[in-house]
Amino acid sequence: MELEVVRHLARSALQNLEAHRRRIDDLNVYPVPDGDTGTNLVLTLRSIVEALDASTAASSEAVAKDVTRAALMGARGNSGVIFSQIVRGFVEVLGEHQGVSAALLSRAFRGASDAAYRAVKRPVEGTMLTVIREMAEESERKEHRRVAPNDLLRAVLSAGEDAVARTPEMLDVLRNAGVVDAGGAGLVEIARGMVHGATGDEIPEAPAEAESLGLDAIHLELSEYRYCTVFVVEGDDLDKDALEAELEQIGDSLLVVGDATALKVHVHTDDPGQALTLGTAVGVVEGIEIANMHHQTAQREERLLEGAPSALQTLETGLIAVCPGRGNRRLFESLGATRVIEGGQSMNPSAKDILDAIEAVPTDDVLVLPNNSNVILTAEQAATMSEKNVRVIPSRSVQAGFAAMGRFLPTARPDENERALLEELAAASTGEITVASRDASLDGIEIREGAYLGLVGDTAVASGPDLDVVMNEVVDRVLAGGQSFLTVLTGENAPVLDGLVAALEERHPDLEVEIHEGGQPHYPLLLVAQ
Amino acid sequence: MEREPFVIATTERGRIAVSPTAITQIVGAAAAESYGVVALAGRGRLSRLVPWGIKKGVDVDLRPEGLVVELRVVVEHGLKLAEVAEAVRSRVEYELERMVGLPIASLEVHIEGVRAH
Repeated sequence: MELEVVRHLARSALQNLEAHRRRIDDLNVYPVPDGDTGTNLVLTLRSIVEALDASTAASSEAVAKDVTRAALMGARGNSGVIFSQIVRGFVEVLGEHQGVSAALLSRAFRGASDAAYRAVKRPVEGTMLTVIREMAEESERKEHRRVAPNDLLRAVLSAGEDAVARTPEMLDVLRNAGVVDAGGAGLVEIARGMVHGATGDEIPEAPAEAESLGLDAIHLELSEYRYCTVFVVEGDDLDKDALEAELEQIGDSLLVVGDATALKVHVHTDDPGQALTLGTAVGVVEGIEIANMHHQTAQREERLLEGAPSALQTLETGLIAVCPGRGNRRLFESLGATRVIEGGQSMNPSAKDILDAIEAVPTDDVLVLPNNSNVILTAEQAATMSEKNVRVIPSRSVQAGFAAMGRFLPTARPDENERALLEELAAASTGEITVASRDASLDGIEIREGAYLGLVGDTAVASGPDLDVVMNEVVDRVLAGGQSFLTVLTGENAPVLDGLVAALEERHPDLEVEIHEGGQPHYPLLLVAQ
Repeated sequence: MEREPFVIATTERGRIAVSPTAITQIVGAAAAESYGVVALAGRGRLSRLVPWGIKKGVDVDLRPEGLVVELRVVVEHGLKLAEVAEAVRSRVEYELERMVGLPIASLEVHIEGVRAH
């Protein structure tokens, strides 16, 4: 287990989990329906990622120790505690060995399952426990014995999905609420992110599933009343118990919380007017929400019948990125871009192309990353043509957009996303290496046709026939601000980078380098430091 | 001597009551299914005085202000104790409210031991 690899996998897992956080929160009805499973898992996994960023573990064993400790310290909530135990069992096995094989992975899954089960007196099936156990069992099947590790991971992931789908058959609470287990669903999304990180497979779009409709589902099964009624009563000397007792007469699923000055009421009733009358009798009523649950149920059925991608409902902010190259497209998609338009240097998309994409995104708030100085204006033009609330993040290059994209959260509000992306954009230091198409003299640098040309910002900084010389100069300039993280996007026909990266790591021992196949034309290398 | 059952509702047709034993069973089951709990601990201080209705590791009492619950559990080594205790507490509280509906005056979770593996 190498630190770099584990970092990459953990990040990939976190990214995917974050995209599903809200859906998983909504599924949470067991053991206590408090709707925080997704959030707790994200917080737990995030503390693992942060600990790995800070880790200097040099051996497989040391990595395992750091991960176990981070999971323990960072565990949040019931699902976080279970996950910390799964992580512990998993890395304990991997930590004892170098390298990875299908057989070793299978033992790690078994270790994870056993660790998870031994920490509870009476294991409940239909939960995260079942999911990790069935994943372990799948990994132990005879036909997987000699397969490549990636193939094993794919098989295990699909067994996990299958186990999650069957959780309602095992646990009545889930069946009654019409949902799958939230912790189990979270575990599979974590696994999906990791497997994707390991294999490079594309993460499929969140599928249309009934399970994303958790709250509707609960209402569907648990109440015989028609209206879900919520309001706040404000007063001077409110009697919570008295109000509760009165509301109890007219409905169920009653919840009255607060103090003598303000009480929040949630009740399912056929007579919301009566509920409000009870409220106005003791104070001032505000924030009234009344939903017809039968109507919600009908809508839900409609959505299911249509097979609508209901997971999209958890999206707050859509994002459109313009970039060239298949690899870059995939990168932006994996970071949560809702749509990617092919384009860039010498093939700028039209305002209409961008407008069409804006309209096709299923959210009212849309961010656009033009990723090229020539596309910024076009994007702004498209923004004014749309009825939607469109914000253009003026990224001048693919690598700058990539850096900003790291902070994008589809489930966060558009203003939060805009702020985060602009912040990242301002902090990103970019460079690129291209091949000169003719002889020239630029910024005091003599350039020969066919030679490598290094640019930082829009300034030429080095040129010559040796890629490593040009690259060193560009990297030094890009890292002038003391950044510790460098991303390299390789272009089509990019040269082999093994030696270059080794030399780079030698020159900058504290630097963390990540290389992705971007596939853009004209630029063998795009670089961004953060 | 059987303890007086706890009255949880009074209707025109009579009272509805739950025995302390039933409540300790609910609490005990919820605790045993809580993640991280590997055992319920030995008998509490009350057990010497009131030999009925007490399940291992669980004490319940009904006071005018509501149920008083004390739980003693053993937790698996290597788990975050505060999170386990909080999960046990919220789960027991939820199950009691759902199944019994009596107000809870206090609910204490004591971690009596940690089981090393």
